[in-house]
Amino acid sequence: MKIYIVIPNLFLILGVLFISQIGRSASKSLLSTDPFLGIAPQDENYYKTSSEIFKCKDGSKKLNRAQVNDDFCDCPDASDEPGTSACPGGKFYCRNAGHVPLLLFSSRVNDGICDCCDGSDEYDGKVKCPNTCWEAGKVARDKLKKKIATYKEGVTLRKQQIEQAKLAIAKEEEELSKLKSEEKILKGLVQQLKDRKEQIEKAEEKERLQKEEEEKKRREAEEEANKEKSKAEKEANQEKNEVKEQVGSEEEPMESTHDDKIGVLDHDPLDQDVEEDKSNSVAEVEHTDKSENASPTDGIEQHAAEGKEESPVVHETDLHAGNEVSPTSDQATKQENDVAENTEGLSREELGRLVASRWTGENTGQHTEEVDAVKHDHHESHEETPEDTHAEEYDGYASETDDDSQRYDNDDMEDPVDEDFGEEDHYDSSPPYKSDTEDESDFSDITSTSNPSWLEKIQQTVRNILNAVNLFQTPVDKSEAAHIRKEYDESSAKLSKMQSRISSLAQKLKHDFGPEKEFYSFYDQCFENKENKYVYKLCPFKQASQEEGHSTTRLGRWDKFEDSYRTMLFSNGEKCWNGPDRSLKVKLRCGLKNEVTDVDEPSRCEYVALLSTPALCLEEKLKELQQKLELMNQEQPQGHDEL
Amino acid sequence: MAPNINPTLPLLLLLLLFTLHLSSVSAWKKEEFRTCNQTPFCKRARSRKPHSSSLFATDVAILDGALTANLRQPPPESPDQDQIKPLLFTLSVYQNGVVRVKIDEDPSLDPPKKRFEVPDVILPEFESTKLWLQRFQTETVDGDSGPSSVVYVADGYEAVLRHNPFEVYVREKQGKRRVLSLNSHGLFDFEQLRVKQEGDDWEERFKGHTDVRPYGPQSISFDVSFFDADFVYGIPEHASSFALRPTRGPGVDDSEPYRLFNLDVFEYIHDSPFGLYGSIPFMLGHGKARGTSGFFWLNAAEMQIDVLGSGWDAESGILLPESGSRIDTLWMSEAGIVDTFFFIGPGPKDVVRQYTSVTGMPAMPQLFSTAYHQCRWNYRDEEDVENVDSKFDEHDIPYDVLWLDIEHTDGKRYFTWDRVLFPNPEQMQNKLAAKGRHMVTIVDPHIKRDESFHLHKEATSKGYYVKDATGKDYDGWCWPGSSSYPDMLNPEIRSWWSEKFSLKNYVGSTPWLYIWNDMNEPSVFNGPEVTMPRDALHYGGVEHRELHNAYGYYFHMATSDGLVKRGDGKDRPFVLSRAFFPGSQRHGAVWTGDNTADWDQLRVSVPMILTLGLTGMTFSGADVGGFFGNPETELLVRWYQLGAYYPFFRGHAHHDTKRREPWLFGERNTELMRDAIHTRYALLPYFYTLFREANTSGVPVMRPLWMEFPSDKATFSNDEAFMVGNSLLVQGIYTERAKYASVYLPGGQSWYDLRTGIIYKGGTTHKLEVSEETIPAFQRAGTIIPRKDRYRRSSTQMANDPYTLVIALNSSHAAEGELYIDDGKSFEFKQGAYIHRHFVFSDGKLTSSSLVPNAGKTLFSSACVIERIIVLGHSSGPKNALIEPSNRKAEIELGPLWLRRGKSAPVLTIRRPNVPVADDWTTKIL
Repeated sequence: MKIYIVIPNLFLILGVLFISQIGRSASKSLLSTDPFLGIAPQDENYYKTSSEIFKCKDGSKKLNRAQVNDDFCDCPDASDEPGTSACPGGKFYCRNAGHVPLLLFSSRVNDGICDCCDGSDEYDGKVKCPNTCWEAGKVARDKLKKKIATYKEGVTLRKQQIEQAKLAIAKEEEELSKLKSEEKILKGLVQQLKDRKEQIEKAEEKERLQKEEEEKKRREAEEEANKEKSKAEKEANQEKNEVKEQVGSEEEPMESTHDDKIGVLDHDPLDQDVEEDKSNSVAEVEHTDKSENASPTDGIEQHAAEGKEESPVVHETDLHAGNEVSPTSDQATKQENDVAENTEGLSREELGRLVASRWTGENTGQHTEEVDAVKHDHHESHEETPEDTHAEEYDGYASETDDDSQRYDNDDMEDPVDEDFGEEDHYDSSPPYKSDTEDESDFSDITSTSNPSWLEKIQQTVRNILNAVNLFQTPVDKSEAAHIRKEYDESSAKLSKMQSRISSLAQKLKHDFGPEKEFYSFYDQCFENKENKYVYKLCPFKQASQEEGHSTTRLGRWDKFEDSYRTMLFSNGEKCWNGPDRSLKVKLRCGLKNEVTDVDEPSRCEYVALLSTPALCLEEKLKELQQKLELMNQEQPQGHDEL
Repeated sequence: MAPNINPTLPLLLLLLLFTLHLSSVSAWKKEEFRTCNQTPFCKRARSRKPHSSSLFATDVAILDGALTANLRQPPPESPDQDQIKPLLFTLSVYQNGVVRVKIDEDPSLDPPKKRFEVPDVILPEFESTKLWLQRFQTETVDGDSGPSSVVYVADGYEAVLRHNPFEVYVREKQGKRRVLSLNSHGLFDFEQLRVKQEGDDWEERFKGHTDVRPYGPQSISFDVSFFDADFVYGIPEHASSFALRPTRGPGVDDSEPYRLFNLDVFEYIHDSPFGLYGSIPFMLGHGKARGTSGFFWLNAAEMQIDVLGSGWDAESGILLPESGSRIDTLWMSEAGIVDTFFFIGPGPKDVVRQYTSVTGMPAMPQLFSTAYHQCRWNYRDEEDVENVDSKFDEHDIPYDVLWLDIEHTDGKRYFTWDRVLFPNPEQMQNKLAAKGRHMVTIVDPHIKRDESFHLHKEATSKGYYVKDATGKDYDGWCWPGSSSYPDMLNPEIRSWWSEKFSLKNYVGSTPWLYIWNDMNEPSVFNGPEVTMPRDALHYGGVEHRELHNAYGYYFHMATSDGLVKRGDGKDRPFVLSRAFFPGSQRHGAVWTGDNTADWDQLRVSVPMILTLGLTGMTFSGADVGGFFGNPETELLVRWYQLGAYYPFFRGHAHHDTKRREPWLFGERNTELMRDAIHTRYALLPYFYTLFREANTSGVPVMRPLWMEFPSDKATFSNDEAFMVGNSLLVQGIYTERAKYASVYLPGGQSWYDLRTGIIYKGGTTHKLEVSEETIPAFQRAGTIIPRKDRYRRSSTQMANDPYTLVIALNSSHAAEGELYIDDGKSFEFKQGAYIHRHFVFSDGKLTSSSLVPNAGKTLFSSACVIERIIVLGHSSGPKNALIEPSNRKAEIELGPLWLRRGKSAPVLTIRRPNVPVADDWTTKIL
């Protein structure tokens, strides 16, 4: 191998030396002897015309032929100096036989750095650039060959995926329309049952009232006797309740304040206890708060009134403090000032952290962690996060819902129309693939596709009920009434499941799965990547998150494809302290597996990841690569193969 | 819900408090810094009435070539009052018009403590320029009962000590017009150290910090008057106008004095007399009538300076006769001694020369460091570095230095690397070096108090840290958390520190690595005013209050010395510092700290850098783009266009900001920023020549207009435009979507638009149309600017590239200019290894001659040629130029003023004269 590398190099070095020798004797500016140096093959004709007059390519000037490549820039478009560095913005072509040709900025010519593997960009003799094209070319060709192999396989995979996707979509569309028509029927049945139920209930009510009337009369005498006493009691109770209510309503705003802070200081160790205590209600409160937050203009207007001196960061925080802490921003400002002036109360370490946090933008709690100088008690509870709590609750709730097959993920669990943040949070911790297996319990009764007779069964049942029950029978037949209620409850539950299934399907099918639906399969998948202490989870069409231990940060919700389906964009992630809302760009490239390879954060809270996938293995690109390889093979210096 | 109420309530309150803390995290925290009123010495000095000083001079004599005297006070009226001991007064005279006046307690009278004199600032060689006074004359100034003593200063100048009332001043011999005076208003006050008496409460408290002040009050204050001055300038560092505005007097709103106290100010505002990162107590007065004078007080304690608006002393009813265009100032310092310097000028360049003859000339920078620097907090890892580096190449944008901020270290332990992010730092630096590029890493003075950190262990065991008031190692809080600070006042510790930069000690460093000193005010997050307590103790029992403003200077010095040692004395250091003090110019560059991405801060960068230049710190710049916040694209482009003319040109950004490398804003904006950077690279030969001028004369690279046009009153308060050298006038565009700019072009000669060559009349204001492509910049008629028009990856590859000379003819068809060249990195220029050419164009002939003294012996040579000579203001027509002595002809044609830059009228161009830049030759237009 080595033998045939060395020989051409030797020739080349000699050649370069020879050229530069001539250059030196010819003039001080060390011109190359080759008047056509740096000219791309497609331009050769332009330069090789025999005329003594050379025209700048942009037509702006006519020159003597001797002014071409004379190391002095004459043409504004740099076309007279393809082989020297005289014109800024010019381009130098190196042939790089054995490798790929290269078009360099002319600023690279004779700058002492070897850019072309054939060394042709450095001819003034100051540096020697060995010809490395054959070696480099071989490496490049091998790489290209591998790439082509990948593409070939990838193109096939992609085709399969597209086929599958088309089938699946058709199936889902069919299911959807079927569900829709079934929904209509079921709706009717439920309505009928409801009417009947209401009739029964009316009858029951009537019975009850009658009974009550009798009862009333019977008791009246007794009551008369006790009247005085009970009145006193009642008043006492009322007062008590009022007190309770007051306490409660005072709690409310505080509650929401706290929730908001969880959003901001997502690592605050104090969250946990409160979070647990509040259990379900937290979700609701959080929910409303965040939706308030979602319209940032409110806050901004408020700040405009507050005075200009404060920087945008203050505003940001004010937005939280102002909106949620107390309705009057004045008060918030006042409190803020109080605290700002009150640094005296802080320990020296707290003060240090506080001041440091101005520059770092980290909350001081986080900083501690980084500095890791001090261990604090809350550290362990810190690991457990609110999301966890939600997750458990949610899983319990989820198991009541049904799902029958791999094709359906847990979409039906979320209300697809309601895109609020709270719901999305639940998502974080119950990943689709997990719920696939867990939620199989009893969706079978509505997932009709395999067994269409269920609807008929219900219809039959309803008919039977309606026929069997005598409406105006008094007293009401208890068992009949219970039967109807049960049927009604079951049917309406089914209806709502069906409706949620419909809307989730509709929601799914609305998505842009790419020009050939090649991204369809991404809908049910999440991709994970571990970088240092973080796990990144990308769920296309849904959301992306960063997990550290048990804490989850949402990097973004699905936004769209960009850059002709070569980039996926997740935006509107969790707000960054002092920064923008988090976002993630996923660059797609051809690969045989769906795999996230690199996650990076080039700017604060703006993430970038790479995802290789067969979906990007395009046939046109394969052809391009094959052509490139052919070209490289052609460009190989003669004789190498023989050697 | 009910059971939840009680346990959550306190938690909620806690969280509420916490959030409010965080919400206070932003914007300038005015209340964290002391005002004059909260600073007893300042408040006291400010409230003194004119002529309250009763000092008078006695025992006037010549001693050791200086005029000496005792300053006494009348005996106290009641025996309770302190008996004031006489103060020692010394006036010495130095060559070139420098007068030094020292006043201190008399050591022979047993003061409780020796007051601090700042060491290692005044050049050792300055002493050798002292004139040994032999005698003094005595005269009686009109109306005085007592005599005055008069000594010679320089041709036409005398210094006068007026005995009673005590006053000292410099005057012109002819006509006896005063130039500068001290204590003309009798505000002199010197709090002598005394033994603490029972019942004395010397403690001072501010924001929960207590300063024990074991030595009690020791402040000094006095008034200084600048005669025939229309404006005063200097005393950096403040973000405010260039011409200093009165801080007291009729019509002045309640203002703070200009404060000199090195502070790390978070999000400083753009118009305030508050102290920032560095302090130079040097003020210049300039007026049309006489010229320029300067006053410098070498004192490192906190200083406050009032500029007194005319009529400030009206209440006292006593007006000095020459109150015409006089400007009075009040200087107040917390400690130290009076060690002051009077500079007589009379020209602006004379004053800066006089000042730098005392504090040192600006160091000659490495050529690469005068090119473009790319910084960000933070370039995260090696891959990031590689990406950014290659993107510059991809977009054909040159840059010379890539910077790494604090996150590159292992837990903010300087001299270490985060090996996860930077596993192969040497390899990374070598890769950059292969493209002629350099790297800078940050090294701050706070050392992490971590037993496993070798530097901390060593500093602790050697007792090298600054001590707190009780004598323990001072423990403050900074980036690494709990930190201590090496006592840089001690030369031994500086020497120890400088060894840490050797390639062996600084693991992962290479010869291509240079240093950035940040946080050296010093910044202490949990200290009073975010700095070190004033009662902390330094080497020799010096209190921090006495040297505070010089701490960063010593740190900068030690680091810079470290790089010199690393390079075996052969490699010029490059160290950027944030804190500074007089003399910092000898050790490296500074920048204006953590500015903000807004238009006002773009504008204020100009007066800030001009002020730094005027006070010796010529190698300075502001963060291009603004450190905090995200600049709008237009602002970023304008900042590049302006920053390209800063002496120190670096893009930098806070880690919360979006990426803002020049190629991230669309093709058009990339082009605009590339063009701005290219302009700087093309002008590097000119800039480097100016750095050499600064290195030999102290005259700054970036200058106020009045430095070149000292008698043009219209320039005196102009701080939107500035000169780069004597040839280039630049004005920033400081507003959004500007359509027009009013640019004042001074002087009787014309100006040529730098980009188009269009000629503009001097001595008038032009309303110019503004395009996005450039900010207004003009070449002054009568000058020659050397350029290199080939853009490379970095300045390193430009070494052998040919030159372009741009000759801008004046009304008599003449012009001149200079070009300085050396190896760009070593100290051999000090031995004469350089080329310094003088180009003169007159009578249609350009002559190149050497400015090197004892030329003939060539220690440095260059093979570079001049490939193009452009002559602006010449009639077209000539076809050839004759080059002698080679007797060759070069063609003359009409060519572009700049290659690749839009269409502009073609200009007369001598094509390929290819004369060696190092040689003597002439080129005559035929």
